[in-house]
Amino acid sequence: MAPELTLEQLREEIDKIDEVIVRLLDSRARCAYTVGRLKHELGRPIYEPAREAAVIAHVRQVNDALGGPLDGDAVARLYERIMDEARRIQRIEAERDKKNAEAAATKTEG
Amino acid sequence: MVVVMKERASESEVEAVIAQLVEQGMDVHRSTGASRIVLGVVGGGKVDPRLIELLPGVHEVVRISQPYKLASRTFQAEDTIITIGDLRIGGDEVIVIAGPCSAESEAQVHATAAAVKRAGAKILRGGAFKPRSSPYSFQGMGEAGLQLLREGSNAHDLKLVTEVMDANQIEVIGKYADIYQVGARNMQNFTLLRELGRTRKPILLKRGIAATMEEWLLSAEYILSGGNKDVILCERGIRTFETFTRNTLDLSAIPIVKELSHLPIFVDPSHGMGRRDKVAPMARAAVAAGADGLIIEVHNDPDHALSDGAQSMFPAQFDRLMAELRIIAPAIGRSICLEPVARRGWAR
Repeated sequence: MAPELTLEQLREEIDKIDEVIVRLLDSRARCAYTVGRLKHELGRPIYEPAREAAVIAHVRQVNDALGGPLDGDAVARLYERIMDEARRIQRIEAERDKKNAEAAATKTEG
Repeated sequence: MVVVMKERASESEVEAVIAQLVEQGMDVHRSTGASRIVLGVVGGGKVDPRLIELLPGVHEVVRISQPYKLASRTFQAEDTIITIGDLRIGGDEVIVIAGPCSAESEAQVHATAAAVKRAGAKILRGGAFKPRSSPYSFQGMGEAGLQLLREGSNAHDLKLVTEVMDANQIEVIGKYADIYQVGARNMQNFTLLRELGRTRKPILLKRGIAATMEEWLLSAEYILSGGNKDVILCERGIRTFETFTRNTLDLSAIPIVKELSHLPIFVDPSHGMGRRDKVAPMARAAVAAGADGLIIEVHNDPDHALSDGAQSMFPAQFDRLMAELRIIAPAIGRSICLEPVARRGWAR
């Protein structure tokens, strides 16, 4: 980034980047939601540590090639938070699903 | 010309201006904006703009210098958004149309519709009446093909666009399709355009292979002047000296049309390139350049397609392209065919 940019200009650039990041996080969350549905149908657990390790290894590798100020550990910490949220989406949906199923079962019994 | 009313113009002042214009033989298209009312005026009558400017409530009268009026940005500053059911064309979301060149069989239509839906397409394309360069080529299945396409799009919750080649097909196609497509070869078939102006279904108007942008917008004007306001322009390549590609896909049309007109613009990279391996890069470029949508040929088995097999993508290639477009669109502040999230849980 050119150092001659003013603080104002740099902040504007950061705002633009944030808009893209949030849209991409939205796309990622939608994918994670669908992954949750598939896991549910396949009877697989929400928490799959091997997959999470693979995601972290992948983003570390992508980040290493960039050589920017974020080191691998920093990227790993950010991704731990992102995956926490993905798991949370999947857990909320699974709980809602379970509750709906129970409600349906009670209704049939009554 | 365009009559811009004052911000606080009263309803009776607006009506008086309209009455005067109508009396002088003009057609008036009124648009009520957030802050002021704008009257678009076309027709053969003789009106002195200076006299109109003197009427109470009038802010200014702007003469439109382009030969197309209704299609111009001067006439309507805001983008046209076309609504078909819950689908919005020309808004924030980039809409993707995909499907085979022609309907060939029930199995082919269903397999392809399922594949494009899964990847995120919102509209199915497919021809039943095919305008082929050679009279000996496959000419399409006719109404039976329309029926297959409708069933395929219903089964996968897709809208349907299909080409109309002749005014006498408007009625039968109207029974099945959500959008009429006018092909490049018919862009200046003015009888057809006039008839389509009388319909009330959106028209996807392809650019002729030797048409200038002005000629293209004048063709749109034919449809708009008939009262059908829902025209989607579609760039599909123009003929140049380059022979490596089938046509030269003119992506410069996107920003230019966006400036000249309020109508949505789509890009057809399949016909423009004519080779499936070159479709994805041009589709990515089109979205980056600001296209409102894409129309892409996808076939469940392109090697056995009865027409345009070489430019039809395999479903797996289309999946990959859509995933790439979902990353590109946010960079220019748009979304594209997001994975839909059910409102109440994922239990079905």
